[in-house]
Amino acid sequence: MKEIIELSDNIIIIQRNEFLKVKGSIDTNLYYIESGSVRIFVLDEYQEQTIRFGYKKNLIVSLDSFLTGKPSDLFIQAIKKTVIKVVSKQQIEKFLETESNRNLWMKILENLVIQQMEREIDILTNSPKERYERVLKRSPQLFQEIPNRHIANYLRMSAETLSRLKKS
Amino acid sequence: MQSEKLTQMLLEQSRQIINQAEKLQSYDLNTLTWKENEISWSILECLEHLNLYGDFYLPQIENEIKNSTIKTDIEFNSGILGNYFAKSMLPKEKLNKMKTFKDKNPLNAKLDKSIIDRFINQQIKLLDLLNQSRNVSLNKVKIKTSISSFIKLRLGDTFQFFINHIIRHLSQIDRIQVAMKNT
Repeated sequence: MKEIIELSDNIIIIQRNEFLKVKGSIDTNLYYIESGSVRIFVLDEYQEQTIRFGYKKNLIVSLDSFLTGKPSDLFIQAIKKTVIKVVSKQQIEKFLETESNRNLWMKILENLVIQQMEREIDILTNSPKERYERVLKRSPQLFQEIPNRHIANYLRMSAETLSRLKKS
Repeated sequence: MQSEKLTQMLLEQSRQIINQAEKLQSYDLNTLTWKENEISWSILECLEHLNLYGDFYLPQIENEIKNSTIKTDIEFNSGILGNYFAKSMLPKEKLNKMKTFKDKNPLNAKLDKSIIDRFINQQIKLLDLLNQSRNVSLNKVKIKTSISSFIKLRLGDTFQFFINHIIRHLSQIDRIQVAMKNT
């Protein structure tokens, strides 16, 4: 992954609550978070639904837009002040000209697919307790980096329910 | 220009507008209500003025998009009047002071931070409408202006005019902050 990060020649800083991306825009950048945290969410009838987080040392991307070059409904918003290294799609495409780089990229994508599958099961899991435990086991770091109210939204439960589950 | 290019540009401008407004959320009420003199506007008054315009344009845009039966155009062509209005809204090097319509004058309205929330919510709505506009023609859908209901602009021009107007007042907000620092 560090080979990809090293491609970046552009660092941006976004302040708390600022948007890196809004619904409908085309965004083919790959973002590496140096510090801070962001959430990726969609608006479902004016309700926010967080689908993913990014914190330090994470790569985030609107994968739909990245792969298709088409608009994506995703919002990416800073939860706190965040420093980001930006890698453009053109830089990635150049990077992918060598076979060993392509293998590296494959590994990253494979990883993402597995994460997506885990997430799919999360969402289809009925019990809040189980949803919580799955994510706790998979990403304990999340609970250090991200405020509870956002995690609750991600887990599709109220903040009170999450508090209760954390205590028990 | 291509309709999609215009939409992308407007979405990006909207993103920047929201970010500027989010910054204002962290300011205290004194800063937000500071006025250089009696008749000049405070930051909150600028935003409330923009909110009043949003109240007029956004529901109309939403309605016209919903009721439009004409399909989308690949190319958007600015109307002569629309283009003029949109461009005249932009803040220029040497700023031309404009008179404000009485019903859009925010002086002395009830001013608190909820005005910022309202503004941001309108921008989110605007994002939504820009997304929806991909399904209709930016040329054929026409929107009445707040100046006169007999003057209608193409949807594409209306979006530009509306957003340029916001950009104009955000520049004003920047200038207010500079003036405040210099007192």
